Amino acid sequence: MRLYEYEGKEIFKKFGIPIPKGRLVRIWEEARQAATEIGEEVVVKSQILTGGRGKAGGIKIVKTPEDAEKIAQEILGMELEGYKVNSLLIEEKLDIANEMYMGVTVDDENGVPTAIVSTEGGVEIEEVAKRNPEKIASRLIDPLYGIRSYEAIDLWRQVGLTGETLTSASRILFQLYNVFASYDARIAEINPLVITSEGKMIAADSRCEIDDNSLFRHPEFKDLHIQRIENLWEREGVKGGVNYVNLEGNIAVMANGAGLTMSLLDIIKAAGGSPACFLDTGGGLSKERMKNGVSLLLKKAISDARIKVILLMVRMMISPPDAVAEGVIEAIKEVKVKTPVIAVIRGREPYQKRAQELLKDSEISLYSSVEEGIREAIKIAKE
Amino acid sequence: MAIFVDRDTNVLVQGITGRLGALQAKLMLDYGTKIVAGVTPGKGGQTQFGIPVYDSVQEAVSKHRIDASVIYVPASFVQDAAFEAIDAGIKFMVIITDWVPLHSEMKVKAYAKSRGTCYIGPNTPGIMVPGQTSLGMISPSAVMPGGVAVLSRSGTLTDEIASHLLEQGIGQSVVVGLGGDSVVGLRMIEVLKLLKEDKRTKGVVIVGEIGGTMEEEAAEYCKIEFDKPVVAFVAGRTAPRGKVMGHAGAIIMGERGTAESKISAFQSADVPVAKTLWEVPLLVKKMV
Repeated sequence: MRLYEYEGKEIFKKFGIPIPKGRLVRIWEEARQAATEIGEEVVVKSQILTGGRGKAGGIKIVKTPEDAEKIAQEILGMELEGYKVNSLLIEEKLDIANEMYMGVTVDDENGVPTAIVSTEGGVEIEEVAKRNPEKIASRLIDPLYGIRSYEAIDLWRQVGLTGETLTSASRILFQLYNVFASYDARIAEINPLVITSEGKMIAADSRCEIDDNSLFRHPEFKDLHIQRIENLWEREGVKGGVNYVNLEGNIAVMANGAGLTMSLLDIIKAAGGSPACFLDTGGGLSKERMKNGVSLLLKKAISDARIKVILLMVRMMISPPDAVAEGVIEAIKEVKVKTPVIAVIRGREPYQKRAQELLKDSEISLYSSVEEGIREAIKIAKE
Repeated sequence: MAIFVDRDTNVLVQGITGRLGALQAKLMLDYGTKIVAGVTPGKGGQTQFGIPVYDSVQEAVSKHRIDASVIYVPASFVQDAAFEAIDAGIKFMVIITDWVPLHSEMKVKAYAKSRGTCYIGPNTPGIMVPGQTSLGMISPSAVMPGGVAVLSRSGTLTDEIASHLLEQGIGQSVVVGLGGDSVVGLRMIEVLKLLKEDKRTKGVVIVGEIGGTMEEEAAEYCKIEFDKPVVAFVAGRTAPRGKVMGHAGAIIMGERGTAESKISAFQSADVPVAKTLWEVPLLVKKMV
């Protein structure tokens, strides 16, 4: 779950990382007052959950509170990079002498956190890595102990910082790591870290992403996470405990397991078919989760006339066959739709036989070969 | 011994009285897995299917020789359960649980490494040596003893591909699920190194998917060091960028983790890549 800039900054503040003076506004009528409180010249920053706001026109510097109001009126409600702007952060304009970068993320290959610093900020770090690798230093951090002060100092020293700048930047990196660890972040980043002409160091932007599997440890974000999923069907999926990704085709696909579902999509596409979605129910199915998944596809088929057929596949490993079959039957009973449903049931015996037995009197077409099930689905979709 | 486990492996089940733990313990016992003890705090002194249950791993270890632990506890307890097993000196773990927090996964990995414990998972269907033992949930009806090792990042897809091999008369030396998350215990290359020395393994099927760099690493190893035939399958060829496809590890970020990158890595190592599930056994027959 990605956090808004202002949420990241609120966390930074709690951890003693300096941030600019600022106020969040959700209606344009508040912008003038906010700007007046902050200072004459301010920056109006649209709050959206993606990068590249500046280039897309989502960040404006204005000279007067009147202009702040005008710009707020313009930007609020606008769509930027596919996201609607619902709020603005109005901040003091910093007197920038220099921009740097620091971030903490996960190194997948080693399975540990990695801290990255650079004396060049305000641009994407991947860019700097290509162009000026000597301006970047990184270090793997032991997740059991966290970052140590000397590690932070050593990193910044490697890219040439000295004196007061070295110690201030290191202190902030130390705290940024603590944000990363305390909030179960996948990434915590300050870009740019501004050095003002008076020599002060300030986090001018924030990027924090919380690991979704950790949201139970951060109840303040748990409900927000669901609310913020833009696509209605993806949101329904999360509520129902299944993973849904919207696609554009006419065969709605569901299977129990991410790898299996992706494989079905690949095979359908290679055979000339076109998947309408990816729905992975996950393993260890309960009746409820099975029902949620099937219901979601049936409802989707009602609302989207493009969908010609629904293809379900369940690989029986440990999911109780009665739960699987009852989930399907109840969903079909509750959500009435004419779209044909094909189900491929395979796997552990006697689970496979039992589930097929329970489903044989329902309206769905049963297959025990994946190849045949897919062929049939594509055939119906093309009719 | 085969890879990691065999019919003589004494197994502990952590979370043996939970809904999932109990169900799976029963299925493993049916297959012949030597489960010697279970752990559920607060339920010490009870038995489950005749197996003694203890309050702690330490206690179980003091009463039994334990070679491996299978962990079924809920995601929020996985870190503690794994630390407990590592502290008790258990050298091999299978962490079945899915939805485990990333930071817990990093801590378990670092701690296991510092204490010399190996593990697969989290978010894995486990490991099975057909005809000998099963630590996890791979279907007995998908396997038979044979010479092909199946190495995978998926759950049901692993089972599915094993069954396609079986349907074409190909048995497996071992089936290993490494886990679908971005931070897991053993990586493909580490298992390949062991399979190189395993006499029963004549060939390997690698079941990869988008995200991370495990397949590229494995392909590189196949090119330089690995001398047995390998067939690969890569799930997610048509997955959209920037979307998490069910598995936390299955995401394409920029140019990293794409199916193309993995497929071309395998191809440059002369590893044929199957386009469908049913093509896997056909390619294996050509190679082995």
